[in-house]
Amino acid sequence: MRHPEHEDFLEEDWLYEAITETYVPLISVFEGLVNDGIDFRITLTLSPTLISMLSDSLLQERYLKHINKLIELTQREMERTRWQEPFRRLAEMYFHKFSHARDTFQRYSCNLVYAFKKFQDLGKVEIITCGATHGFFPLMDVCRDSVRAQVKVAAGHYESVFGRRPRGIWLPECGFLPGHDEILREAGIRYFFTDSHGLLHGSPRPKYGVFAPVYCKGTGVACFGRDLESSKQVWSSIEGYPGDYNYREFYRDIGFDLEFEYIKPYIHPDGVRINTGVKYYRITGTGNHKEPYVPEWARERAAEHAGNFMFNRQKQACYLNDLMGKPPIIVSPYDAELFGHWWYEGPMWLDFLFRKVACDQNEIRMITPPEYLAENPRNQVITPSLSSWGYKGYSEMWLQGANDWIYRHLHVASERMSELARGYPAAQGLLRRALNQALRELLLAQSSDWAFILGTGTHTSYAVRRTKDHLLRFNRIYEDIKANNINENWLSDIEHKDNLFPNIDYQVHQ
Amino acid sequence: MRILNKVKEKLKKIIPVRFTSLKSTKKKSAATETGPLSPKEIPGFQETIAVNTKFSHPEDSRRRSTMPQELPSCYDQDKIILQVRDPRWLHTYWELRNQTIEGLKNKLGDDFYRARKILRVYDVTNIIFNGFNANSFFDIQYNDFANSWYIDTAGPGRSWCVDLGLMLTDGRFITILRSNVVQTPLDGPSWITDEEWMIPEDIFARLYGMGFGLGKSSPVGGAWQQRLKQGLFSSGISSSPVRKEVKERSFWMKVDCELIVYGATQPDAKVTVQGEPINLRPDGTFTLRYYLPDGKQVIPVKATSADKLEERVITPIVTRETR
Repeated sequence: MRHPEHEDFLEEDWLYEAITETYVPLISVFEGLVNDGIDFRITLTLSPTLISMLSDSLLQERYLKHINKLIELTQREMERTRWQEPFRRLAEMYFHKFSHARDTFQRYSCNLVYAFKKFQDLGKVEIITCGATHGFFPLMDVCRDSVRAQVKVAAGHYESVFGRRPRGIWLPECGFLPGHDEILREAGIRYFFTDSHGLLHGSPRPKYGVFAPVYCKGTGVACFGRDLESSKQVWSSIEGYPGDYNYREFYRDIGFDLEFEYIKPYIHPDGVRINTGVKYYRITGTGNHKEPYVPEWARERAAEHAGNFMFNRQKQACYLNDLMGKPPIIVSPYDAELFGHWWYEGPMWLDFLFRKVACDQNEIRMITPPEYLAENPRNQVITPSLSSWGYKGYSEMWLQGANDWIYRHLHVASERMSELARGYPAAQGLLRRALNQALRELLLAQSSDWAFILGTGTHTSYAVRRTKDHLLRFNRIYEDIKANNINENWLSDIEHKDNLFPNIDYQVHQ
Repeated sequence: MRILNKVKEKLKKIIPVRFTSLKSTKKKSAATETGPLSPKEIPGFQETIAVNTKFSHPEDSRRRSTMPQELPSCYDQDKIILQVRDPRWLHTYWELRNQTIEGLKNKLGDDFYRARKILRVYDVTNIIFNGFNANSFFDIQYNDFANSWYIDTAGPGRSWCVDLGLMLTDGRFITILRSNVVQTPLDGPSWITDEEWMIPEDIFARLYGMGFGLGKSSPVGGAWQQRLKQGLFSSGISSSPVRKEVKERSFWMKVDCELIVYGATQPDAKVTVQGEPINLRPDGTFTLRYYLPDGKQVIPVKATSADKLEERVITPIVTRETR
């Protein structure tokens, strides 16, 4: 998802925000833990598209430019707020934070994938894969070859980056449809996750609920279910930690608050105000009045919340242990960007949690799914239920009046791709390039993000355009191949634009 | 909706400008398709292109002759596809070739026009469906313009197949297309308990409630409904548990003041403002911008020559008073 022709693009902005606010802070937490000899475990999804973006030298260069501008902005802020003590301290905090982000980024040769790989190689972080372009698998079931391609391309990409096959997968949007476990097995993937009801509504009824994994009937691929009690503590807008009044307010950003001419160089070049990441206020309360952020207070709350989370898991595990007669596993998945981006103190909270679990108690411990399976190889065999972690728990977010029109096009494209893969089993040269590019375009069109944006109902043009562009390119390649009339210039042009998965092999789509 | 709002929020900050540029793309292609006007004759065409290339893909404008802008409305196939939306609802879409429709018209004559267009929804749970052995079925009449439909099966945990067909006036049903078979998921726990793994009912009830984070004594029956009420779904490219501030009233105003202090000296001089050193531009000028709080600010600006022999101090005093 790069746009070589232009510098300012939706996904790129999101990538930069995520690097500064989430990935670097997480990496810093891991570094600190390793330096202090604290044992910890975390399972982390790095989607193939994210890995591709993090490894793209063009985007790396642009990130450096981006972070340098932010650092410059915080320097100006330190000066501007000289007579406003609380804000001056915060400007300084952001100056250090952004400078640290740049240093960390450069320390890993501008490729943060190396950082994550390092912690995986140390046995602390388990990195799992995702669908190649985050297609929503249940709505691709009409042509399972496409599900297979999403999985195989992702697994192959993972292997080329991490030097071994992925053991686990985060199904895009946690979307599982019975039978897709067979495709995971073919790709050598040993486990995946479902939302709670995926396991609880499986058949036969799972003996231990979501507190032990199951093996899928017929394939033996392990499935772990999401625990909602621990999710709720973090996610819930009512009871969740991130809403604490001492935490930083997300919605007051100087990109929106400051005088236009001053902030202009740091917002969108067209003059549209955007978040810069510099936010000076704490949540304060439910009203509009906001007080300046006090880092020390927020830090104290993060420590308390980590203690509270651990305490609740101890109680939960203890209770479950009595009930089940064996140690339960509690699976608590969150969007990575919750930590640091939405919930500024999230990485700090994780840091406290890791340290407390390692040092302050011995009732519970952190574990990765493969470690759990190695210790508990005997599990129940069931068929988990169709499910997702999207709105209402199934497919509705991606299948509703606003976006259902895309499927008649996507499904035809999938069938055509299978037809091509079968029809040209050992293509070489230009034909092979065209076939590989056809698969790239199909994968890009399948990204569930487009349907999701259409489903939200605002600013849908971008999603419409992306869906159509990739499908139109696919259709043209299909027709050109069938007519034995491939235009090399045009092909080179779109190869350059949609350049992800350089080693893709169209033969996986069958 | 909470989650959706956050996403909108996030998209909003980037998209508005591109949004307009897309609109102009559409207008442009419509213009080129409908009339003999060459692009240059269309007012504002150049500007449109400029915006457009910023957003979109240059190839589109270069290759308009060979690259269509819109997806085909049909793919010349007879096909009906069935998908599951949730435990109750299915979605189906279909396409019929013109020649298929013409063939039916020829075969059925006037009956074709009098026939009702029907989706026949078969419950094919636990059978290999041959067209005649469904457990049960129900019919939905669809209108002439539909090419897709949402079907309420009210039947979680069942298998379904749909025929697209015609109901003739004499009550005969003619199948034109038959869909794939799909299965709706259960909307509660399965009644099938593996005998080898038997577990007492009350313990499962507690584990089930806990799985949804509903505490230790939640009944099996209502747990899923309670979860739906809590809205504890995470999803999408971005979502947030963080509440957006509520605007108490829509009307509002904000006023603030900043102060700009600027000046110039010898480029190689050292300058301090309120005792803090500042950087000069290469030409010896400087500009400082401060948030100006209420009260009096005394701002001594001191320049010292490079050889440290000369010094100038100028001290603006500024008072802000907000009423």
